[in-house]
Amino acid sequence: MPFLNRLASNLITLALVVLAGGFFAAALVRYSPGFDSIPEDLNPGISSATLRVLHARHGRENSLPVFYARYLAGAIQGDFGISQNLKQPVTDLLRQRAPVTARLILWGTAGGWLLAGLLAWTAAWTRRVARGDALEAAALSISGLLLAIPPVVLALAFFFYRAPLGLALSLALLPRLFGTMRALLDDCWSSPALLAARSRGVGPVVIAARYVLWATAPQLIALFGVALVLAFGLAIPIEALCDVPGLGALALQAATSRDMPLLCGMALIIAFFVAFVHAAGDLAGGLTGERA
Amino acid sequence: MRRGFRRAAVCVLLLVGLSALFAPSIAPYDYSRQFREAPNAPASRRFPMGTDDLGRDRFSRLLYATRVSVMLAPAAALVSILLALLISAIAGTRKQWVDRVLSGFTTLCLSLPWIFLFIILRAVLPLNTRPLASVLITFGLMGIAGWAWPARIFTASIRQMTQSGWLVQARASGIRPWRIALVHGWPHLRAVATAQFLVLVPAYILSEASLGLLGLGVAEPLPSWGNLLAELQHPSRVHDNPWILAPLALLMLVMISLESLHPAREVIA
Repeated sequence: MPFLNRLASNLITLALVVLAGGFFAAALVRYSPGFDSIPEDLNPGISSATLRVLHARHGRENSLPVFYARYLAGAIQGDFGISQNLKQPVTDLLRQRAPVTARLILWGTAGGWLLAGLLAWTAAWTRRVARGDALEAAALSISGLLLAIPPVVLALAFFFYRAPLGLALSLALLPRLFGTMRALLDDCWSSPALLAARSRGVGPVVIAARYVLWATAPQLIALFGVALVLAFGLAIPIEALCDVPGLGALALQAATSRDMPLLCGMALIIAFFVAFVHAAGDLAGGLTGERA
Repeated sequence: MRRGFRRAAVCVLLLVGLSALFAPSIAPYDYSRQFREAPNAPASRRFPMGTDDLGRDRFSRLLYATRVSVMLAPAAALVSILLALLISAIAGTRKQWVDRVLSGFTTLCLSLPWIFLFIILRAVLPLNTRPLASVLITFGLMGIAGWAWPARIFTASIRQMTQSGWLVQARASGIRPWRIALVHGWPHLRAVATAQFLVLVPAYILSEASLGLLGLGVAEPLPSWGNLLAELQHPSRVHDNPWILAPLALLMLVMISLESLHPAREVIA
């Protein structure tokens, strides 16, 4: 039952994000500069009175509620309009670019999540079990140093030395996940249940697999979802600067050319993706939590 | 050891802050002054860090850039915190439907990666702006767009506070709401607000750097760490003049100092 409640709540949130995101996107397109101009504006043979009537009709036909309904109906069917700058359907552009970004994000997130987990595990284990400072200090220093480097600079260095950009994304993500993972694992290692298990002579491998990983799995899975979203945010400037033909480069191109239909189509898709990832992470975490 | 590290961090931040504040007095030249006879000059007594390809003194530009980045990131963080406090106060103290609407709005804002939201807002505004306007737009938008993360935490704290016994007693005693908020509520929120502020400042410094590299940040000729880092896109220049890395080194130093003041890191874009 709690799972069904959680599912319903997530579906409602997803629907609200699409509705509100669609409204935001439609409002931006509707009020973008140049939207109110009509082709007849350039025709010197048309009188100003006729132009006024034509503009009034254009305004009525494209009032925000009407435009929003039309935009949302199109978006649900996968039609996000035509890119003003590239003169191509926005759907086609997104379909071409999305796989590139998806690959980068997936590799980057998986790497970042694993590396952060490894580092957090080292820090928590040395603090609670090995009682040593050196490894924990090293883990903290690595994380702190990586957090101090702007992700785009890290990616540029990887780009110029022809190293995989997915690894740059992983290293940029690592410190952003490390703090939460470390706190999570630290709490788990210091829990009374674990102390009792250790005092009864349960082996370290069993403790790690049975008690620590299993107990923290829901939060770690949910954190993977958060990491995906973070990776997407980090991938935008990385793609734009490192000539990766993904959604990030497209977003920047759309922003600099003020291509509102393209930008808004992307906003809607991204908002849906983020809400979907959060919902999936929440549900997966809930399922694992119930079983644990 | 940790205390010593913190002291060193405070000293570094003070030094950077003071040099940013007194940049016009310390810098040998104006940030936009061009020495056309000496473009890409190496480091010398006349130009301590050399000049850029337009013949402008790198050292002077770095000092002014520090002024822009270090002074305005906290200002933007303050805007975010104030906005978040205002929205959270409304959400946490009004009727439940108001709380739900505002919570939904917060979720929507968090559903878009921060930098993408910024790109959209930046695209709506004019791209060719005067340098000063570009500074205000960049940091103003950061401040406005970054309220959602702290708001979620403030709302939870305020909601917890409204259910506490002391607040019910204060209301029953007839104390005015603004007095409850300022005299009794704020001390409870201050620690959370300070922590959020310390999380946002480095996040905004890094964001400005990313935006500057993308060409969406502070407009030339006004320098910022972001647009100074744009030179890193030409690695051959770094070999010729390693001082190009000075803004990156300073940025990292400030970031590490800020981190050591607030070691508890959170997941934030």
